[in-house]
Amino acid sequence: MPAPLYSIIVILICLFAGYGINFAVGGLPPSLYGMMLFTISLHYKLIDDKTVANSISWTLKNMGVCFVPAGVGIIEHYDLVRSHGIAMVIITFVTTWLLLTFVGWTVQQQENKKAR
Amino acid sequence: MVFFGSILFFCMITILIYQGFVKLQNRLNQVWLNPMLFSVITIIALLMWFQIDYHTYQTNSQIITWLLQPAVVALGYPLYQQLHSMRSQWKSITILLTISASLVVIISFLFTYIITKEYGISVSIALKSITTPIALAITEQLNGNQAVTAFAIILAGLFGALMGVPWLQLIGVKSHKAQGIAVGAASHVLGTATISQLSFQHAAYGSLALIISATITAIISPAIIHQLMVMLS
Repeated sequence: MPAPLYSIIVILICLFAGYGINFAVGGLPPSLYGMMLFTISLHYKLIDDKTVANSISWTLKNMGVCFVPAGVGIIEHYDLVRSHGIAMVIITFVTTWLLLTFVGWTVQQQENKKAR
Repeated sequence: MVFFGSILFFCMITILIYQGFVKLQNRLNQVWLNPMLFSVITIIALLMWFQIDYHTYQTNSQIITWLLQPAVVALGYPLYQQLHSMRSQWKSITILLTISASLVVIISFLFTYIITKEYGISVSIALKSITTPIALAITEQLNGNQAVTAFAIILAGLFGALMGVPWLQLIGVKSHKAQGIAVGAASHVLGTATISQLSFQHAAYGSLALIISATITAIISPAIIHQLMVMLS
């Protein structure tokens, strides 16, 4: 079987199994269950990692395009953006920045300690 | 046939514009020239120019949005590659991300509520750091505003995608692991997708952080927001 076809099939199997788990127990979205199943299957050699490697790096390189249609959806909420937009943007940026700094800095400190 | 043709048309336009900006970014080598951001702006401008309704665009480009799901599954690969080196660390990462997720939900909710006095918007902003499908599900559960959640998620994602690594470099956070965890925790799939191009380590730790953050936020945020509302009223 050609490698890209093999990759598509194993990823779709993981995704649909993810849908099954989501349907049965709820909780996380299907794609995150799928991601975990994919990791586990690779770990236990149910999926051949060398065969999927190229297709995966192509996918990761190009997945940004998948966010574009959702992003364009911002034009739908023009009124809301006008009345609370600035506050929303500032709070989002500030809290995201705090989170980035806090997490990044803490992990880096742990890394430094280990290196010493 | 007409229907199929328009799906093909809108998907091709989206991919072509995106690829155009990818080429441009590669040539000019500028971080701020994010293909995602500039594609969104260009398409909004085009829709307005040709007076095309957003719903026409949305229904015809749904396939691209759907492809995000298999792409998220693919993020399991870098995670697998780093599994052996992560095994000893994932406890400490989980503790750190539990603290940070709780803090960010509390701070975002309180600030937004104090400024806007709108419960729905506050819920949405509080959930902006996690991946869209989970955040939308919790927003619905807590009677938040789903449109605002989606909007705030993109903002948070873009912020981490564009500013994350340059800012972390600036404050001396240079390890790929620290950068990956920070961007995954603050800017979910969007940030992780962007930094995945840097190295497999960025991708692996970003994926790990976004899974843990999303799971923890899904568990703790209903209780936190409920408690905050009791305190505020």
